[in-house]
Amino acid sequence: MEIISLLINTIIESLTSIAQLSLILIPILIMIEIARHYQVIEKMTDKIKGALRFLTLPGEAAFPMLAGIFFGIVLGAALIIEYSREGYLNKRDLLLIGIFLSICHSVVEDTLIFAVFGANPVVLLTTRLILAIIITRAVAYLLDRSGTKLA
Amino acid sequence: MTSLLVPIKNGFSKSLNLILLLVKIIIPVSCLVALLKHFGIMELIAGFFAPAMALFGLPGEATLALLLSFFVNFYAALGAITAMTLTPQQMTVLAVMIGICHELPIETAVSSYTGLRIPAAAALRIITALSAGLLLNLIYSLAGGGS
Repeated sequence: MEIISLLINTIIESLTSIAQLSLILIPILIMIEIARHYQVIEKMTDKIKGALRFLTLPGEAAFPMLAGIFFGIVLGAALIIEYSREGYLNKRDLLLIGIFLSICHSVVEDTLIFAVFGANPVVLLTTRLILAIIITRAVAYLLDRSGTKLA
Repeated sequence: MTSLLVPIKNGFSKSLNLILLLVKIIIPVSCLVALLKHFGIMELIAGFFAPAMALFGLPGEATLALLLSFFVNFYAALGAITAMTLTPQQMTVLAVMIGICHELPIETAVSSYTGLRIPAAAALRIITALSAGLLLNLIYSLAGGGS
């Protein structure tokens, strides 16, 4: 009996958290769809060329990078495959994008979900972004210095 | 304006699917965690991992949230989190670690298309998450008493 009431309480608590979460999730996902509709990412690509230069990545990396950062690693990876097939990005650039996006992707959704649970969204976002930048830059440096050719 | 209706509808139906998924994942996981607590198994797990979790300023219980995040997914970890009480600082550290490292079986397979091999991707994310947790806890404790 005790266990049943424990489970019922747990289910009520979980449903409450899910309801709170839904209040955030529904507007975010609608906003993401609207941003996609207005091709916001395409319009942002020019603005991050400087940041990409710091990561030693070409301007062509902008679109898959932004898509991955905002919409998630699955979409980012799909675009990356498309770009590499068309020959815009070489193996070195692809690997660096993969490393960056592994650490830092779908930042809007992830950050706001945890904010609902009481995490500090600014700390969360900056930590992920800074670590992704440092690690990607470090790998780029090591790859280029060792003259590794990626087959 | 009519053209806006399509993305709004898409976003809405995507959120409904996601909410359904959340119900399917979070409820069983939080029930499991509640049962583990009830039968004292959680105490054993938490006690065993407490020294390691102390490095991140987290309680031993948070082990379960981290493991669920790494090997199942983000939402399963949320299920474990709903069954715990954490301070905002602990929640932030845990969120950073989970944000960096989650759903390894699926996401490392996806990212392998960039040429990043699966074991390398998994190691990269686990090591980055653990270092981020250590670093953030260190910064927090240096910055303000680390309550």
